[in-house]
Amino acid sequence: MTNKLSQLMLNLLRHVVLIGMSLFALLPFYWMVVTSIKPREEQMMGPTLIPKHITFEAYQHVWSETQFPAWFWNSLKVAAGSTAMALLVACLAGYAMSRYNFKGKGAFGTTLLMVQMFPLVLVGIPLVLLISKVGVMDKPFGLVLVYMTFALPFAIWMMKGFFDGIPRSLEEAATIDGCSRMQAFRLIVLPLSGPGLTSVAVFTFLLAWNEFFIAYLFLKTKLTLPIGLLTFIAQFFNQWDSLMAASTLTTIPVLVFYMVLQRQLTRGITAGAVKG
Amino acid sequence: MASPSAEIRRPRKRTDTFPYKMILPAVIMISAINIWPVIAGVYQSMMDYNLLRANNIKFNGVQNFVQALKDPDLISALLVSVKWTVGAVGFCYLVGLFAALLLNEQFKGRAIYRTLLLLPWVAPPVVVSITWRWILTDMDGLLNHILKSMHLIKEPLLWLSDPTLAMWSVIMVAVWRGFPFYMVTILAAMGNIPDDVYEAARIDGGNRWQIFRHITFPLILPVSVISTLLQCIWTFNDFGLIYVLTGGGPAGKTTTLSIYAYRQAFQYLHVGYGSAIAVLALLLMSLLGILYLRLQKKYEVTD
Repeated sequence: MTNKLSQLMLNLLRHVVLIGMSLFALLPFYWMVVTSIKPREEQMMGPTLIPKHITFEAYQHVWSETQFPAWFWNSLKVAAGSTAMALLVACLAGYAMSRYNFKGKGAFGTTLLMVQMFPLVLVGIPLVLLISKVGVMDKPFGLVLVYMTFALPFAIWMMKGFFDGIPRSLEEAATIDGCSRMQAFRLIVLPLSGPGLTSVAVFTFLLAWNEFFIAYLFLKTKLTLPIGLLTFIAQFFNQWDSLMAASTLTTIPVLVFYMVLQRQLTRGITAGAVKG
Repeated sequence: MASPSAEIRRPRKRTDTFPYKMILPAVIMISAINIWPVIAGVYQSMMDYNLLRANNIKFNGVQNFVQALKDPDLISALLVSVKWTVGAVGFCYLVGLFAALLLNEQFKGRAIYRTLLLLPWVAPPVVVSITWRWILTDMDGLLNHILKSMHLIKEPLLWLSDPTLAMWSVIMVAVWRGFPFYMVTILAAMGNIPDDVYEAARIDGGNRWQIFRHITFPLILPVSVISTLLQCIWTFNDFGLIYVLTGGGPAGKTTTLSIYAYRQAFQYLHVGYGSAIAVLALLLMSLLGILYLRLQKKYEVTD
């Protein structure tokens, strides 16, 4: 009996602590949304956790009187482009890493791990020079090139791991039936790789959607959302309703992604550190 | 003499070019976007390179590094970086481990907690920094308001502009954002521990603490070490979170090496000197990087 009681108490305690932690995790999101829908007059009266009135004025302001929609569109283009290119390049390389032994394979793998450690501040100026030489400065495509490359180390390791789990016998059978190796990859292996591709896609999309140091250096007029928000800080100094409305709108696509693809996302996080 | 043609001409086994063709696009992109800029950056660090005098750029060897070692601002930035990295990663780990332990058993609502606790990790960093800046504002900030209404403080605290408090504030935000990474990673590692191991320990009469100390912890140690090394590198190199929160202030109390290098290179346009600082950061981080590669190989072998 006492054992059961202590078990019950322990469970209760667990819930209390977890609820506390969840509140801590959620509070900033809550405050962001509440601030964005609170009328200005109410804002002036000091911080209150529950708004008495609700208004969408700030959203209207941000969406129709600022550059925000253009930034949103730019971010979408950059994220979608980076994701598509990273998927393509990482699939090819990941497949080679999974199925073939070739000279330099180990060095390539180690390089992939090492490049993740380079400080962005060091590569900033050379990258700006390189990208302007290619002629894609201040264009979404310049960022696409950089972000898809930043995603590659993770993406290639992820795809390699995924391909490792697909039995070779399938392709061997297909090549005996007269498929070329490329065809076997495209027609047999890729259709089985949905979950791996999704993980890589989510990871790359979020990276491109969230990144701002490189965007800060590259973009002068065609801003992406993170840079747009930075210019808002200066422009809307102390107009927290507009700032929070813009922040909410920037967060929504990420949350939608997260809710739909949570499993793929968590797999992505753990893939780097846990060897199952 | 036998004619050369009499020798058996064994066709040399041709290397299979297929895998090379497959990795070629990746190799090109990584060489151009990752590796070349680092080489160029290291080269810049050995130049007298000031964008204000752009037509007078010349090689000056290790002079930037000599200057760096005598620069008191650099030493203080290095100390700030170490404080920031150790504090942020350390607390992230503790909170993440704690959350993972709470979530490691099956119970009602587990999936919901997991989903909620992971949210901070997916929020865009700029949004995180702006929102926390708003929460931590001294006069109308939410945190001061809450603490005041609970009678924990009388005067508003200057979270981001008090010289001693500012570092703790940015660390708190980093923990808010970073602990879910550890939570998920450690949970995954705990999921790999077979149940019968626990079963045996319970039969032997181990209590919770003993089981954690002698079974769970040793088994999650490899994952902990590897992900901590990675986190240290990322946190040390991080620029955005602090920059948007405090801009490096007050009085340089949150100016990390990354922010200092950024200032030198992009604001004062001392590209050579800024690059030299970043190279020093890279050297420090490659020590951790080598450790990371070694340990990862070691753990793979023992798995």
